[in-house]
Amino acid sequence: MNAHIICGGLTFEEVPVELREKVAFREAQLPAALEEMRKILGLREAVLVSTCNRVEYFGATTQPEQAAAAWPEFLRRFHAVTDDFSPLSFQLHGVPCVEHLFSVASGLKSMVVGETEILGQLKDAYDIARVHGQTGKWLNRLFQSSFAAAKSVRSRTAITRGHVSVGSVSVELAEKIFGDLDGCRVMVIGAGETSERTARSLLGHGVRSILVANRTFDRAGALAAELGGEAVRWEEWEDRAVEVDIMISSTSAPHYVLTREKLEALLKRRERRPLFLIDLAVPRDFEPSINLLDDVFLYDIDDLQSIAHGHLRERQTEITRSMEILKPHVDRYMAWAVKQTGGPGADDGRTGWVPA
Amino acid sequence: MHDRLWLFLATLGYLVSAGWGIYALGSQRPVANRWTFLLIAAAFACHTLFLHQRGEAIGHCPITNLFETLAFFSWSLVLTYLVVGPAYRMSILGAFTAPVVFLINFFALAAPIDLPSAMPHLGWQLELHATLALLGLGVLGVAALAGVAYLIQERQLKRHVLTSWFYTLPNVGRLELVQQRVLVWGFVIFSAGAFLGFFIPHQTSEDWVKITWSAVVWSLYAALVFVLWLGRLSHKKTALLSVAGYIFILLTFWGINSLSEAHVFPHVG
Repeated sequence: MNAHIICGGLTFEEVPVELREKVAFREAQLPAALEEMRKILGLREAVLVSTCNRVEYFGATTQPEQAAAAWPEFLRRFHAVTDDFSPLSFQLHGVPCVEHLFSVASGLKSMVVGETEILGQLKDAYDIARVHGQTGKWLNRLFQSSFAAAKSVRSRTAITRGHVSVGSVSVELAEKIFGDLDGCRVMVIGAGETSERTARSLLGHGVRSILVANRTFDRAGALAAELGGEAVRWEEWEDRAVEVDIMISSTSAPHYVLTREKLEALLKRRERRPLFLIDLAVPRDFEPSINLLDDVFLYDIDDLQSIAHGHLRERQTEITRSMEILKPHVDRYMAWAVKQTGGPGADDGRTGWVPA
Repeated sequence: MHDRLWLFLATLGYLVSAGWGIYALGSQRPVANRWTFLLIAAAFACHTLFLHQRGEAIGHCPITNLFETLAFFSWSLVLTYLVVGPAYRMSILGAFTAPVVFLINFFALAAPIDLPSAMPHLGWQLELHATLALLGLGVLGVAALAGVAYLIQERQLKRHVLTSWFYTLPNVGRLELVQQRVLVWGFVIFSAGAFLGFFIPHQTSEDWVKITWSAVVWSLYAALVFVLWLGRLSHKKTALLSVAGYIFILLTFWGINSLSEAHVFPHVG
């Protein structure tokens, strides 16, 4: 069989979230959606990928034009919506389609370049299609090649290196200060949203003990309950700070909550171990000269954001190198595909191996 | 002597290891550091072969002149690295060890200090005293190198400037642990070697230059280990003092060993 490898769909680059959310597929919907999509688009094999940032199909077909034309109609029918998705949908065919999948799998086309969640999402989408008998030799080989290509890009470039959000940068720094975060104790001062997110990131990386101090004790109690920690009365936070390794602050106080003098007194009562201070407040809660004290590492919101942006810039510079690494993977897949069709001579010029 | 060829090869190996180690530090490829370890291990094999052949040739532990002493001293450094590296998953320290070892060996090979000595009978106590003291200095050297790695990582964290070394170097917690443990071990071994010296009957007059120098070095490290034990010194200051102490050793080692009477035996030929 001569098959065309095709793909298309909606991505965050072209389509706003208000439209994407209308046509997103829940995992439970995928088997039925795959079945219906195959019929409407005329696909022999199909994979449907639905994430926050993209709704895309991948297929093997003998009628690529039909698939491209029927995709918007499929979305309208399945989700019972009236929007016209034709001008917003991209369609790729042959080599560009293979390149697209390999780039997506490697995180090169993600909103946050280099993020690795997309690879897991692609694997899940492919597994669902495979388990439901919607894939065959073309897409099996294509997706497996894309996973290998993504692995190669990850291990040979710095595309996934460095974290790009305040929470994950904080975790990265904490790990470079303490190593294993398992035994680390954290205190959250001021129950703000960013500090909560940062605390959650740390919890996700092994931190077990969290204290929450807030001027309003009830709010401290509510956040502590959510984080599985302990609420601390405002008058007591300085005493309890002796126990902790990481302090995250985001109060709305107009003055420094922790001055250098106060911290020096606190350090004398503390065991000799490093202290990581994360100041997310504006105006700042921790006196900047605290960073001059030995074994104390102070980061404010600008420091964390500038590290995150720096990482993102570094990742973007890795895109060209990543594309070069992907090229032999794409070539290998194309060579295999041509062999399946009996070589270029057997090709009528309309197969998927010729860029559309 | 032919044995010098092995030391030359080892030194060349350390030079390659140093270059590769520094590349590996910035390369962001964890596997690169394993290669540093293997390269150093290969150079160490040549280094050991040199000491073995020299020992066989002179019928003594090869510390009879400054050349041999320096070679044994650098060998102790590498030996410690080869133990500490795998034990603490710190093969990265090779990038710091190799350049220092290369410089010591290069100096030993380049300077006209390989003068044959007619050694008196040393006895096993004296050999043990000298080898333990040199081994202790080697261990203290690795502690200082871990201190250098700690100071680099600490500086990056303090200044909020994260270079590629930030990702390759271990966390400061592990670096300070290794640095302090190795420091204590080095001190214990050096102390054992130094004190053994007091119980050895001397055939010649007391070597006051060497004894004073050893006492100064021992006191410096004893004070450092004591304050460390009291928990009064910050991790940064501990690392700084460990590095400073070792720089003192490296700068004075040559002079002291040239002046030291115990190592100046009548030249043969």
